[in-house]
Amino acid sequence: MIADQEQLIEVIVGRYDGDEGMLIPMMQDIQAECGYLPLDQLRRLARRLQVPLSRLYAVATFYSSFRLAPKGLHEVTLCVGTVCYLKGAGAISEQICKEFEVAAGGTTPDGLFSYQPVNCVGACALAPVMIVDGEYHGGLTSETAMKILRGLPAEAQPDKTGAKP
Amino acid sequence: MPTVTIDGVQVEVQKGATILDAAGRAGIWIPTLCYHPAVSSQAACRLCMVELDRGDWKQLVTACNYPVRRDITVSVSSERAVKARRGVMELLLARAPENEQLQALAKRMGVTGTPWPTVSVAQRDCILCGLCTAVCEEVIGRAAIGFAGRGMDRAVSAPFRQPAEDCIGCGACAAVCPVGTIQVRIHEAEGEVEISPFKSRAKLLLCEQCGARVVSVPVAEQVLSKAKIDWEKFRRLARLCPECRRKSTAAALALAAGSPSG
Amino acid sequence: MTVLDARRVAGPADLERERQALRKRRSSAAKRVRVCIGTGCAAKGSRKIYAMFAEAAKELDAGVEAVTCVGCHGFCERGPIVVVEPGEILYQRVEEPDVAEIVRETVVGGRVVERLLYEDPATGEKAATADQIPFYKAQERIVLAHNGVIDPTSIEDYIAVGGYAALAKALTTMTPEEVLEEVARSGLRGRGGGGFPTARKWRSCRQAAGSPKYVICNGDEGDPGAFMDRSLMEGNPHSILEGMTIGAYAIGSAQGYIYVRNEYPLAVRHLRGAIEQSRQWGLLGEDILGSGFCFDIRINRGGGAFVCGESTALMASLEGRPGEPRAKYVHTVESGLHGKPTNLNNVETWANVPAIINRGGEWFASIGTADSKGTKVFSLVGQVVNTGLVEVPMGITLRRIIEEIGGGVKGGKAFKAVQTGGPSGGCIPAEDMDARVDFDELTKLGSMMGSGGMIVMDEGTCMVNVAKYFLNFLRSESCGKCTPCREGLAQMLHILDRIARGEGRPGDVESLEKLGKLLEGTALCALGKTAANPVLSTLRYFRDEYDAHIFRQRCPAKECRGLFNYEIDPEACKACGICLKNCPVDAITGQKKVPHVIDQSKCTRCGTCLDKCPFGAVLKV
Repeated sequence: MIADQEQLIEVIVGRYDGDEGMLIPMMQDIQAECGYLPLDQLRRLARRLQVPLSRLYAVATFYSSFRLAPKGLHEVTLCVGTVCYLKGAGAISEQICKEFEVAAGGTTPDGLFSYQPVNCVGACALAPVMIVDGEYHGGLTSETAMKILRGLPAEAQPDKTGAKP
Repeated sequence: MPTVTIDGVQVEVQKGATILDAAGRAGIWIPTLCYHPAVSSQAACRLCMVELDRGDWKQLVTACNYPVRRDITVSVSSERAVKARRGVMELLLARAPENEQLQALAKRMGVTGTPWPTVSVAQRDCILCGLCTAVCEEVIGRAAIGFAGRGMDRAVSAPFRQPAEDCIGCGACAAVCPVGTIQVRIHEAEGEVEISPFKSRAKLLLCEQCGARVVSVPVAEQVLSKAKIDWEKFRRLARLCPECRRKSTAAALALAAGSPSG
Repeated sequence: MTVLDARRVAGPADLERERQALRKRRSSAAKRVRVCIGTGCAAKGSRKIYAMFAEAAKELDAGVEAVTCVGCHGFCERGPIVVVEPGEILYQRVEEPDVAEIVRETVVGGRVVERLLYEDPATGEKAATADQIPFYKAQERIVLAHNGVIDPTSIEDYIAVGGYAALAKALTTMTPEEVLEEVARSGLRGRGGGGFPTARKWRSCRQAAGSPKYVICNGDEGDPGAFMDRSLMEGNPHSILEGMTIGAYAIGSAQGYIYVRNEYPLAVRHLRGAIEQSRQWGLLGEDILGSGFCFDIRINRGGGAFVCGESTALMASLEGRPGEPRAKYVHTVESGLHGKPTNLNNVETWANVPAIINRGGEWFASIGTADSKGTKVFSLVGQVVNTGLVEVPMGITLRRIIEEIGGGVKGGKAFKAVQTGGPSGGCIPAEDMDARVDFDELTKLGSMMGSGGMIVMDEGTCMVNVAKYFLNFLRSESCGKCTPCREGLAQMLHILDRIARGEGRPGDVESLEKLGKLLEGTALCALGKTAANPVLSTLRYFRDEYDAHIFRQRCPAKECRGLFNYEIDPEACKACGICLKNCPVDAITGQKKVPHVIDQSKCTRCGTCLDKCPFGAVLKV
């Protein structure tokens, strides 16, 4: 974690030698630090790289992994790839959205978790698959999926994907 | 210089010119929406489809950006090309069924209506041609607006859907919009120009003599920054609108002509 | 596990010396336990199992090592997989309580734990090693040869099994032109779906004017159901680096990129680690192997967009822009990344290169068919008994893959279709099971081989629903730039939604075909151009299902809600009353000890009774 939020952009831009082509990795790093893409940080980034803000907004809204609003305490990803879908992931997704009042890509009203359906995580033998805070849960049914989500604690968990820089 | 045989007419073009250029030379009309000579061709609307003869097969290509690098044969009026263009226009008409400019273009193409229902939401008939964003970025150099979202949710927008901060109120986007989505609105009371729907506003420079609108202040500043003139000096020079300036120059000349010294 | 300190190898001879030393070291270990930690097995808890084995190894006498491997031994259905050396004893579905027994019995005692061996469901025969398992017998593992054998986080393991010998050979004994010739002789074609002749692409890039030239590895594997590239990137990252470096040498490039899907964090980690190690050893970066050739690789993660698997969209992404494709009238080998000559190839394509250089193009061309050389990795998933990754020679039949290797359809159900080629592909029905799998044969049947996804579907699958699924997928992934894809997909989906709801109309099929043809002719990129394939192929082979939906408001496979009936099986019904209580329209009647009955005239076919019944007494009819 970078302690000084003011210096965040400098540090991140420095990581990639100010290369504009590395814009997406830079934005991913900002999101890894802040949990989402705060407008003021994006403004700083635009100024620092001499890139129009409209381009940053275009990138932030084009790619599914970016969030412009803070995420929930927990991160829930449900695979809705072909195999998972044919095994009921579509119905599970609908149920999640309904019960927790969350839209795809959004966060529950109480901020408990952010929900993102994705198209295939490459673990097809375990279909249907849900990833909660980096931990994989396979062979789900509507029952077991909802049980896991209902049991989410009201405090943040460490990320287990090992993907942070 | 390569030769393009287009619907039987032969024209020579510079290497790298497009099929659309060749068609223009040959006097053959191809409908376009997202093409504009001032900006790069993205071929996003797919309206200008023509058939390229590849010997053992024919390929549908977009005329506005297909670069001619050797002798080629193109058909604009083949059944397949006409059908392709009609198909695209039918989809566009379904998206913005009430739009007059689109209807006029369709009519010229011989397309009378569309079999499809409206299933997408078009923000004020916007057909996402991208000319506005292209002109703002490439010609004006501000990139105040851009695309946001993806697929069906794609839309032209100012960043974060707030009033566009980098907009200078020049109205170039409105000038190139082929369907009238973008409007320049003058707010007399505040002395401001607004680019709708981007909600950006800019103050207008007014003639000190008659009060007529000259240009938006940010446009003036942008021009100044490129021409390296002092703002104060510019103000003195530009404090009059062209009409008043002409009148005051004429008066000064008349005075000079009528003076005893020459 | 790092055996020797990382140090630059000065040249090929130095590399060979290291290799011999590493080989000796590796074989001197009396015993080894290999635990798969690929995403599939890790999701079943294999990391904990690995940790337990590592603990146990510490407490035993010297001579035992626990090695981490990536799964994609391929047999994901049977994970977690553990292999014990010597003997290559393969244990499947290993759980934590099994660890102690394996250590005691097999590692120390040299005995086999029968119950953890693979047992053929049909014959009951047990297999102690991989080559006795039907799943593996028909496979020919070239690209996946070392998956499950080496530790992907160890360059030493890769070198010990022969890694970087091809690079040394190419850089120090071959000219770039000779490398091109060898790849041309092999007949290698792109493995990402396009099937373009690799050597031809390399040559065009080499001959293009302009510099610098770029080399890209497309790791944006987005077809749902396909995870071949994930397993390669996770399980043998060095093979990809080596392939790219050889290609860069042939083309004349000094900078490469690997674009990895955002959803593959382990692949990113292993690739990063591999690049670092490679640099330390002098096998990447400046003056590689003392040859004077310089080449370096950088990794970019995707932002979450399927369309970025398209080459021009990928390059736009590498330039820090939204992943919108552009026209390819001027090919990317002439003008690609930053407008410079760029050669892009798929992960699996790159991974084939070292073997081709090592064993020769002729050897590679001796495998496969006339126009499709070598092997292909497929991800065999869906309603099949053996789910996993398989590598087979081109030209093998679908039947052999699905029945012999895959073990047939799960649960003894009838085979209905196999979907190949992802969202750009189509469904192939039972009567074409003897079709040979290669670049051309499947295309003739209205599908395509694509990147290798093979989804098996049984009689319970509604093909209209499958078409709708893929269209939905493409609609959400379409970049939206061009009219036909953006508007056309919305129109097609609108029609399919109506059909699936029982509101289909005469003329709907013709409309779908008309739109499909329009997309094919006018869309800007391959996503749009092939978007209608799933619809068109299901229409071709399963027209009767569409007709049933449209004209009789009926879903024969009983998947589309509202288009089939529910009935209570009087034999299975226990008259518990749960369905009756939960029916939102009170369509169920019954009392204690009397089987309940659904009044079909009242039933809205919502399916609540089936969901609630604890005895499975509600049937779809």
